[in-house]
Order: sequence, then structure tokens, then C-alpha cells
Amino acid sequence: MRGGVIVLLGLLSAATAFAGDVTNQMLLDAQGDAESWLTYGRNYSGWRYSELDEINTRTVKRLAPSWVFQTGVSGRLQTTPLVSDGVMYVTGHNNHAWALDLLTGRELWHYSKKPVKEAQGCCARPNRGFAILGDTLYKVNFGATLVALDAKTGDVLWEKVVADYKEGYSATAAPLIVKNMVLVGIAGAEFGTRDFLDAYDAKTGDRVWRFWTVPGPGEPGHETWGGDSWKRGGGSTWITGTYDPELNLIYWGTGNPGPDMNGDVRPGDNLYTCSVVALDADTGTLKWHFQFTPHDVHDWDAVADPVLVDLDVEGEKRKALIQANRNGHFYVLDRTTGEFLLARAYTEVTWADGIDAKGRPILIPGKDPTEEGNVACPGLGGGHNWHPTAYSPQTGLYYFDSVDGCHIYYRTTQGYIKGQWYQASTVGGVPDEPATGSIVALDPATGETKWRYEMVSSPSSGLLATAGGLVFGGDPQGYVTAFDAQTGKVLWKFQSGGSVAAAPITYRFRGKQYVTVAAGEAIMTFALMD
Amino acid sequence: MCSAQPSRTNPLNNSAADIDTGRATFRIYCAPCHGIGAAGGSGPDLTLGVYEVGDSDEDLFEVIQDGVNGTEMSGFGERMNDNTIWRILAYVRSVARRDAPVLTGDVTRGESIYQEKGGCAGCHRIAGTGGRLGPNLSRIGRTLSFARLQEALVEPSKNIAKGFDTITVVERDGEAVRGRQMSIDNFSVQLMDSREEIHSYLRDEVRSVEQEPKSLMPSYEGMLSGSEIDDVLAYLVSLRGDQ
Ligand code: HEC
Ligand code: HEC
Repeated sequence: MRGGVIVLLGLLSAATAFAGDVTNQMLLDAQGDAESWLTYGRNYSGWRYSELDEINTRTVKRLAPSWVFQTGVSGRLQTTPLVSDGVMYVTGHNNHAWALDLLTGRELWHYSKKPVKEAQGCCARPNRGFAILGDTLYKVNFGATLVALDAKTGDVLWEKVVADYKEGYSATAAPLIVKNMVLVGIAGAEFGTRDFLDAYDAKTGDRVWRFWTVPGPGEPGHETWGGDSWKRGGGSTWITGTYDPELNLIYWGTGNPGPDMNGDVRPGDNLYTCSVVALDADTGTLKWHFQFTPHDVHDWDAVADPVLVDLDVEGEKRKALIQANRNGHFYVLDRTTGEFLLARAYTEVTWADGIDAKGRPILIPGKDPTEEGNVACPGLGGGHNWHPTAYSPQTGLYYFDSVDGCHIYYRTTQGYIKGQWYQASTVGGVPDEPATGSIVALDPATGETKWRYEMVSSPSSGLLATAGGLVFGGDPQGYVTAFDAQTGKVLWKFQSGGSVAAAPITYRFRGKQYVTVAAGEAIMTFALMD
Repeated sequence: MCSAQPSRTNPLNNSAADIDTGRATFRIYCAPCHGIGAAGGSGPDLTLGVYEVGDSDEDLFEVIQDGVNGTEMSGFGERMNDNTIWRILAYVRSVARRDAPVLTGDVTRGESIYQEKGGCAGCHRIAGTGGRLGPNLSRIGRTLSFARLQEALVEPSKNIAKGFDTITVVERDGEAVRGRQMSIDNFSVQLMDSREEIHSYLRDEVRSVEQEPKSLMPSYEGMLSGSEIDDVLAYLVSLRGDQ
């Protein structure tokens, strides 16, 4: 009775591929798949735009919660949920993750792993989401590992060490699947690590390539680091990048150089920190780079979404890459060559008098951090930090949030000790001038602001744009909000009871459009009331 | 300076009072998984006198304090002080029998029965391959006592693994879908069918929902000979999560 039991029970062989498996082709076509949300930025270009329009400027007033999933794990969720084949996958703080039933929000499985005690990071232990390929989910664990989970059960398939947490490395970004590889970014620049972007084989978890964001001896760019400062050069890759399949290029933003606020110990431009790097997808070799803030001393990471759009810039069609940079300027680059096309301030900027024709900031002297403290604007978190942004081809506008304010930047001298904070000082608020914030809609071809929604405090959430003429977002006080994408007018709001630090997503399930957003410790899903 | 820290040993003297207190605490916190007499349940048999994590006092103290990451065994360090843990350990030591069952089966034969005649891989996963209707068996040799493994093969319905209950939903058109219950509440049911597809039903949209106190796993008594069962058991005991 060879295999008799199997036949008896009518089971399929274990090797069979299931209908719900996510393929590379599906990831390439993700924009057209209204039933799913398969990758961090929705499509490889990082648009966070959906063609769904059942929820629109007229109907949105009927939007109401359909279910809430309480994770029970403390920490403001930052996850971008993935949706595939009737199931939602979310990640939380401290190495937790869940699969939820789309119809009811009920938990199908829960994964958790106690974080290693010694692992440290700048800011709690958040996680920004899964990547999916086949029937396998990929996420990073905080102690700088990459874990593969079976999507149906949450079982661990393998877990690989990405870097040594004892040196100060940690991991929080959603991985990106490109061509059967899992791209994994790393954090640690506040601890004097030397950072990188890795690609792992999706099946085996073996590393395919590594790109060091701080070049080693003999590599081009190494000369931009005085002495041996490159060894502690930072350049974290803690937000998910984008991919252009036609050009076969991966785009990834990099963080601040280490130590953050004392640049004297690292004379030079400090490539490739505070930059966007364009890497060959197969080999990880650098095709071009663009550095927004050479020799940064204000912690202005350039990790914000590098969004890929085709634009008419000054009468010329361009395959562009746009970024709302933390240093206060919005940039447009040619994504084939890295050529600088334009930059424009979107918030108050006091450290530079514009950007020159090559894309280099024209510095205003005397704005660097000092022992006693020195005011500069924007503040340490920007401008626009890492919160997911949205591009709507319907309106042609680019949407992102901005902290509008300044900081007092302090510096000090500090020796490096492995695994210890290596920021060389800090910032403080400017007395009587609390930072406010806004959601900005601008024309990416010119950098001109079309509308601005002013907020009472620094914004916290990511954004979503839809063909319903809407932009969804949230705020730290707990409101989930829908804006008119053309005007910025608030058309709907809901007090979720949890500070919103994640980006909303949308999808169609059983013929109905849903919007889901993580608010506080909960996952909330909305649909139109019948 | 001396570099190696001497391994910590139980600072209590394992008096009858310590053991008694430890036993009482064990029954509250540990018995739900390790069995009322520590001989195993959904967690391992702790009466064998040999332990996967190591046999020293310190090894056992640490596993009780910190747990085993990624398993049901959570750490108790935040809920108990050191002496409470030491007393539990005194109790565990007091029930150690050091009479581990003698395995008569053959691991290699057991593995091929598992793969072929038994069809076990159709429902169970080991190291990333196999079915999903039943629990992942990658480290089952660590988690279940020998007695429980034996029982799983011949009387699977006696103790149904957590998260693997059986449920049948009869849809409006009369079609019955039977599978593994993934979640249930007063208004809905989620299950995984035998093709490993996940279904979600609102209860008022189906004809009936029936939870069965019966395992989806068939009993192998009679299906496999006694010696074949011994072989499969030897194979299961060898599964310790390091494949
Ligand atoms: C929720 C179920 C559960 C509870 C409650 C639980 N355990 Fe465990 N325990 C397990 C499981 C499962 C394992 C096996 C972990 C593995 O796969 O390695 C285990 C492993 C162990 C081990 C290691 C055994 C070995 O061979 O290495 C010890 C010792 C232990 N538990 C003691 C305790 C004590 C003492 C308590 C109560 C304070 C307790 N456990 C509570 C499930 C539990
Ligand atoms: C039709 C699917 C199916 C087949 C075939 C099957 N099992 Fe199972 N098995 C299950 C399910 C479902 C459970 C969980 C319910 C229960 O505890 O009985 C289970 C439970 C078990 C358990 C207990 C696991 C635990 O964590 O408590 C063991 C051990 C086991 N099976 C081994 C085997 C072996 C060995 C074979 C082949 C000889 C086999 N199974 C064949 C479905 C199956």
C-alpha cells in the first residue's frame, strides 16, 4: 500500500505549487492586481497607488471600520501589511508577526521570537513588513537576521545572520524581492557600524551579493573618508528601495555617516552616505550614485522612498527618480544616469542657499552643530523622514509628510567603543518653537507645492493614493484621514485610538474595496457601509 | 583572575519542603504542558533524567528562566524569582527516573515508512518540506514524550495537538469542506482544507459548522505492523530540529 494513506485522503503531493503562490511575474505586474498588495511600495516603483475607486471622493463619507485586530504587542506599528490570496500578513515590534483572515481579521497564525537582549537600535524595535515570493514570507528580525516563514502556517523555514548585532547592527526594513533574491537593508549608523545592502537567494537563504555603502580600501569613493573613519562610516539602508526591471537597476537610499554630529573625525564627502545608489540587480555593482548631503552633520539620512516616475522635466521626457529628502529639499534625478535634474525646498531650510547645477548644496556658513548648540532647520528627523510616500498618476502629484521646524544641534568629541552609541551628541528643541508638520502635495516635474495640509504636531504616518481621487494618511493623535487628492481637503476622518505610524494599504476582497492601516498596536480595516 | 565562571548549582539543599513547594508550583505553571507528574504532555517528559538543553543545574535553570525561543516553552524569569525556579528544579530532580525507553526500531527504515508507506509527509512538514494539515514535526523528538509519540500513531484522537482541531463546514449548496480549524468565533470559521487552501466562512452564510473531537490523522494501528511502528517511533525520536 505504497502511499496508500495519501490516496485514501485525496491529498496533493507536497511538491505541488498552489494557486496562491506569488511569482516574480506577479511582482512585476503588482500594480494591476487589485486583489493583492504584494510588496512594500505596492509596485516596484514605490508608488503606493491603487486603481480601486469604489471608495472615492463621493462615497468616502460612508467609510466605516469592518474589523480591528489587536496585536497585544506594545509599540506603534510601522508595518505595511501584505495581502495575498485572502490572507493579510503583518509584522510588529519585537519580532512578532501574524497572518490574518481578510474577511474577519481573525488570526490564522502568530510568529514570534524573543529578541536577543543585547541587540540595540536607535528607536525601539519596530518592523516595517514582509516580502513574499512563492509560498514563503521574508522578514528581518531585530537582531540583524533574515527569516523565511511558510506563509500557510508561519513555520520557520530558515533564519540567516545578516550581521553581528554585538557590533550595533539591527534590522527593521521590509525586504524587497527582485529576481528570486531577497534584498535586505540594515541599520546601525548610530553605533559606528559600516553598513551595506545584501541580496540573498530566496530558496536557500545564501548570500548572493553585498554592496558596502561605505567603500573599502581600493574602491572608488574610499578617498572621501579621512584616515580609517570609513570603518565606522554608517550609511544604513533601513528603508526599502525600488527597482526598475527595464534598466535592471535597484535604487536604495542610504543613511547618515557615523558619528552623526561630529564630522571632524571623518573629513571628506563620506560617500555613499546620505545618497541614493543605483545597483545592478544581478551583481550589486554600483552603476551610479547621487549624494544629497555631502559630509552630513545633521543626521539627514537619505532613506526616504526613492520613487520611480516618468516625467516631463523642462520639456524633456525623463525616466526620473524622485525623493523628498530629509535635508528639506525635494529632488528629481535621471534614474538611468543619476544626473541631477532639479531640487526645491519644501520646508524651511536655513543651512543651504539652494542647490547648485550639479546638485550640491550651496552651504550657508556657521550652521554646523557646536558644543554649545547651534540652530538649523529642518530638524534632525527632517523635513520628510522615512514615512512611506505616495504618487498618483491620476493627479500627477507626489504626496509626503514633512516635519516643519528646527533643532538645536549639539556636537561633542567621542571615542568609538564597539557596540556603543556613537552619535557624538544630540539635538534639542528650540524653546517656544515646537515643530509642526504638514502633508505636502507637489508637482514632481517642478517641485512646486500644490497643496499643504497643516498639522498641529509632527506627522507620523505614511500615505496611500487611490484612483478614487483620495489620499489616505493618519496622525499621531490617532486620526485616520482621507484627503481630496486634488485639494487636500479632509473628506473623512476616524479616531482610531492609536497613534498612526504606518502607511495605509487598499485591496479588493470578494468584490469590495477595503482600506487597512496599522494604528497604535492594532490593524484596522475599513470598507463602505452598505 | 580566574576566567571561567564556575557553573551555578542549586543553592537550596533540596529539602523535602523545597521539593514540596516546587511540586506545587510545577503543577500550576508547568503541568499544563509537561504533565501533572512531569512525564510529558504537549511538552517533553522531564522525568528521564537527561535533557536536551544539558543536564547541569545551570542548564535547566536557564531554560526555565529564558525558555526555548520559537517554541511553546516560554521563559518564566519575569514571573518567578530565582528561588522559585530552584525549588521547581528540586522537584524535577526528585522525579527523575533515569529509565529512558529502549528504542528497538530502526531510524532509516522509519524514515522510509514515514515518506512512503505511511504517507506521513503528505500532512506533516520536516525542515521545510511536506504537508501542512498536521503539526510541523521538525523537532517533535524534543517536544513529545515517547509515550505521547506512541499514542499519536495509534490513538491520534486521544490528545489533539493545539491548533489542529478538526472541523467540517457544510456550504449552502450542500458541499462539505472538512479540514484543520485555524480559527473559530461565534460568527465565523477559518479552516485549511485537505488541499491546504484556507477558507473563511461567515456562519450565517453556511448550512452547518461541526467541530469534531476526532483527529484528521488516521490511526496507524493495523495499518502498520508493530515493528514498523517501532521504526517510525525511532525516526520521530531522532527529529530534534537540527536537520
Ligand atoms: C506552553 C507549554 C509549556 C509550559 C507551560 C512549560 N513548558 Fe517547558 N517545554 C515545553 C516545550 C514544548 C519544550 C521543548 C522545547 C523544544 O522544542 O526544545 C519544553 C522544554 C522544557 C525543558 C527542557 C527539556 C529538555 O529536554 O531540554 C525544561 C527543563 C522545561 N521545559 C521545564 C519547564 C518548567 C519547569 C515549566 C514551568 C515553570 C515549563 N517547562 C513550562 C513546553 C512548556
Ligand atoms: C491526513 C493527514 C495526516 C497523516 C497522513 C498523518 N498525520 Fe500525523 N497528524 C495529523 C494531524 C491533523 C495531527 C494533529 C491532530 C492530532 O494531534 O492528532 C497529527 C498529529 C501527529 C503527531 C502529534 C504531534 C503533536 O505535536 O502533538 C505526530 C507525532 C504525528 N502526527 C505523526 C505522524 C506520522 C509518523 C504519520 C505517518 C505514519 C502521520 N502523522 C500521518 C495529520 C496527519
